[in-house]
Amino acid sequence: MKKFIGKRAVASAISLVGLVIMVFFLSRLTGDPADLYLPVDASHQAREQFREINGLNDPLMVQFGRYVADLAVLDFGNSIRQSRPAIDVVLAGFAWTLWLACVTMLLVTFAAIVIGSLAAFRVGGVFDRIATFFSLIGASAPDFWLAIVAIVVFAVNLRWLPTSGTGTIWHWVLPVSVLFVRPFGLILQVVRGSMIGVLSSAYVKTARAKGVRNRPIIFVHGLRNGMLPVITVIGDQAAGILNGAVVVETIFGFPGIGKLMIDSILQRDFNVVLAAIMVSALAIFLMNLLIDLAYALLDPRIRY
Amino acid sequence: MTYRLTCASSLLLGALLGSAAFAQDDKAVTIVLSEELELIDPCMASQSNIGRVLLQNISETLAVFEPSTAKLLPKLAESWEETEAGAWRFKLRSGVNFSDGTAFGAADVVHSLERAISDQISCEIGGKYFGGFEIQAVAVDDTTVDITSDPAQPILPLLMSSLTIVPEETPLEYVQTPVGTGPYEMTERNMGTNIVLEKRDDYWGEAPEVAKATYIFRSDSSVRAAMVEVGEADIAPVISELDATNQDTDFAYPNSETTYMRLDHATAPTDDRRVREALNLAVDREAFIGTLMAQEAVLATAVVPPSTAGYNPDLKPYAFDPDRARELLAEAKADGVPVDDEIRIIGRIGLFPNDAEVLEALMAMFKDVGFNVTLEMLEVGEYNTYYNRPFAEDRGPQMVSAQHDNAKGDPVFSMYFKYGSEGQQSGLVYPELDEMIAKATAATGDERAALWSEVMTSIHEEHIGDVLLFHMVGFSRVSPRLDFKPTIATNSELQLSQIGFK
Amino acid sequence: MTQSSPLTGPARRKSGLATVLGLLWRDKFAFCAALFLLVVIGCALIGPLLLEDAATRQNLRGRNAPPFDMTRDWAFFFGADALGRPLLVRIIVAAQNTMLIAAGAVFFSALIGSSLGLAAGWLRGRMSQVILRLGDVIMSFPSLLLAVIVLYMLDPSVFNIIIVLAITRIPVYLRTARAEVLEVRERMFVQAAKVMGASDLRIVFRHILPVVLPTLLTIATLDFAFVMLAESSLSFLGIGIQPPEITWGLMVSQGRPYLTNAWWLSFWPGLAIILTTLSLNLLSNWMRIALDPVQRWRLEMGGRKND
Repeated sequence: MKKFIGKRAVASAISLVGLVIMVFFLSRLTGDPADLYLPVDASHQAREQFREINGLNDPLMVQFGRYVADLAVLDFGNSIRQSRPAIDVVLAGFAWTLWLACVTMLLVTFAAIVIGSLAAFRVGGVFDRIATFFSLIGASAPDFWLAIVAIVVFAVNLRWLPTSGTGTIWHWVLPVSVLFVRPFGLILQVVRGSMIGVLSSAYVKTARAKGVRNRPIIFVHGLRNGMLPVITVIGDQAAGILNGAVVVETIFGFPGIGKLMIDSILQRDFNVVLAAIMVSALAIFLMNLLIDLAYALLDPRIRY
Repeated sequence: MTYRLTCASSLLLGALLGSAAFAQDDKAVTIVLSEELELIDPCMASQSNIGRVLLQNISETLAVFEPSTAKLLPKLAESWEETEAGAWRFKLRSGVNFSDGTAFGAADVVHSLERAISDQISCEIGGKYFGGFEIQAVAVDDTTVDITSDPAQPILPLLMSSLTIVPEETPLEYVQTPVGTGPYEMTERNMGTNIVLEKRDDYWGEAPEVAKATYIFRSDSSVRAAMVEVGEADIAPVISELDATNQDTDFAYPNSETTYMRLDHATAPTDDRRVREALNLAVDREAFIGTLMAQEAVLATAVVPPSTAGYNPDLKPYAFDPDRARELLAEAKADGVPVDDEIRIIGRIGLFPNDAEVLEALMAMFKDVGFNVTLEMLEVGEYNTYYNRPFAEDRGPQMVSAQHDNAKGDPVFSMYFKYGSEGQQSGLVYPELDEMIAKATAATGDERAALWSEVMTSIHEEHIGDVLLFHMVGFSRVSPRLDFKPTIATNSELQLSQIGFK
Repeated sequence: MTQSSPLTGPARRKSGLATVLGLLWRDKFAFCAALFLLVVIGCALIGPLLLEDAATRQNLRGRNAPPFDMTRDWAFFFGADALGRPLLVRIIVAAQNTMLIAAGAVFFSALIGSSLGLAAGWLRGRMSQVILRLGDVIMSFPSLLLAVIVLYMLDPSVFNIIIVLAITRIPVYLRTARAEVLEVRERMFVQAAKVMGASDLRIVFRHILPVVLPTLLTIATLDFAFVMLAESSLSFLGIGIQPPEITWGLMVSQGRPYLTNAWWLSFWPGLAIILTTLSLNLLSNWMRIALDPVQRWRLEMGGRKND
């Protein structure tokens, strides 16, 4: 196990380095920040001066060398747009996103597993049909619909909840609910599919034949064996939120990393893009490692 | 890193358990802006989102321009006079303090100007208003400043209405806490969440009514409108026309933006006057009003709004006349103008609300009279390569959809850039027009206005410079408990001192 | 994909098509789903040929006309968009681009992702490490950045949108396929095949893939909706489909500012996306049961006896 984690850490570090190099050079092929940052009326001198101040005139290799040297002392450079250390900007947003992802995925996981297994227990039954129908609609509806309609209904008409922003626990209700819908639909379907397979397998049938009560069958035998694809998809959806729940963040004014990442990419704020990618990559690598460990835990036949 | 994370997390937890923030302070207002302020440096205040927070609230200027009367009023300067061509002497107000306690004096003005044009820091005010000529400020005594320009700038005092004054000690890098002489100071700034301004007790002028202003940020227009409706915010300076549904709280105001299609006068077929006229006649401008454009939008005959010096009210927009347009095209074709060449309409995504729809509608109108047009919506970075000089040699026929903002009352901020042969975004190449612009730029008073009027008339009638479309309007939603009416200035500033309570 | 897993039961020698239709008829939901998809495919194939003109004819004075107005042409049954163009016709015409992009992106991401996942799960060792870390890298590479890079290095085109969307969706198939393989490879019948000397390829494709496929199909059908909606956020960058052209995703996002005033602008194309996704999913659920000899009784029960 220790050896596995050690090897994994090395491999991940190499991937991270590769990722940073790739992003560093590729992003610099996508146009000049001076064009995007300065007003369109800006003169050529102003553009030239802007590039000089931000060190964008040097050859790419020199810029890269400087970046690596700074990185060695944990200096991620400054944000061009905000004129603050890029890492501060990113971590502030990431803390919010991490919370949002954790809260949402916890709820999603719980709800999807319970409802999905129950649906799988009587395939084609009323409960199964209803659960499938609504989860699919949720999973394929445009997220801004849900967000705007939720605001209009619950904040403007009913006045139960604040429209947007942060501050109290009530402010979290709408963003989390909207964010909940898509992963819930997807994971519920995966749980259901997986459980149908498991429940019709020989050993569950045997257990049923022996007269084991229904619920234990589902939750003990079924879940354990059907969980592998489920936690994989949970990981994928969590990664989606970690990379930024853009629509929810912009509509609800949630200061997460998603909007930050988009703005930084669109305005070529390279240092912030790099810092954001490093932070979210680290989180995603770690999450995938945990998922791989969970495989072994759930299914003792799997060894690394 | 982990420390910061835990720190932020515990803050968040604390916030979670806090109480709802519905309650409103008597003299406090909440203003919901469309985007977060990334920088909050006074020398960037010409950016509208920064200006709305800073201008005349925290940072003040020597003079202020009042669009309704087109007059320049004294602020931090009590008076000014031209001592010789291009040299002005400003007498400063005394007894004024910055919010950090230091006294305001001539040295601060000198430093503010030097900082704005310094090459150590990318100041937008410097590039926008003080580019293209030499300017220097010298402190004569503590309350007198001499400012000289070369070539002479006849509107130098107007230029000074853009220069935000910062203390002498301000470093040559962006500051995170702006310091100014205004009635408010910034007391809190939580990135991603809000900015708080509070009234200063030692302000030199009349004390404003609003004691505290909180700025928050929501990028979705319907959310901003909803926040004012339910009382979570008091003013949403910019909402979309579609969300302006309540006559009691929603106000339209001219936002000093003008939209137009820039034509290329150096490439066939738009180098032919008849083709340009046909393009203008093909557009049914009236059909846009009240449909894709707000009811309050005005057909444009110049790239600057009607409140600008030298605006010629006698010019008539080109009438919708598709038959005449077809005739002109046929004539041009007979003379060998390649009118069938494909003309690309270059649009910028997000230039104004529903821009893509407006361009699609225009495209259909051009096609209807026989033009061969295609539409490309580009992201800003790529769009700029079409919009700005130097243009590509082999660019081919194209029209660029553009929008221009000039709330300063003088066409000098527009004409050279938009119509000079070397102008950064100009598609025109006429030496005689260059001369007219240069002459008007150097003139003063009534003569100046007359010369500008000639320039604009020539562009509209003689050269048919572009396909001018509309002077745009913006919409604000204001809580009924406030006494505040948005004006043309609301696009660039939002003076808290003008807000009253009912 | 139907062909890849064998229809088991050698005794059954009735006409294949009749059997399939028979099974489909038993599941009324799946039957409706199949019909709806046929309609969509029909629209995609011939819609643009027949209705291109009607879909672009503007009428500014009749903009945002509400739906269900019986006094007007059938084309305006769903109402009109912001330029007064008939929404129903536009949805029909847009089906082509939408389906092309969605099917292309989902197909390539599923194909590439699943193949890599199968390889990573089966091979283990260094090769598997490389594939998985590649997956990690793609997972943490923001799709928007990828789109901007593609935009600047290549010309915008439908094909390039497919590339961008396909690449970003690879990891979920990769990781899911691999997770399943890790478990399935330990099962008895795989071990048995191994002992009997079956080749790697044969084991993976004959024995492992059929077990893994249903989960991948479930993900793929739901990814259809995701891809259709994500595509419109790329047109925001000027990559690929742009305003004169249409897709359902683009129609949905163009209708966004009108959501509170003229809901139908984004509702109908959104509904088209939902119904397509729903149909695909119902059909794939049916297929998984119809193809699985252990499960098929669910469909056959209550009907005539087949054996």
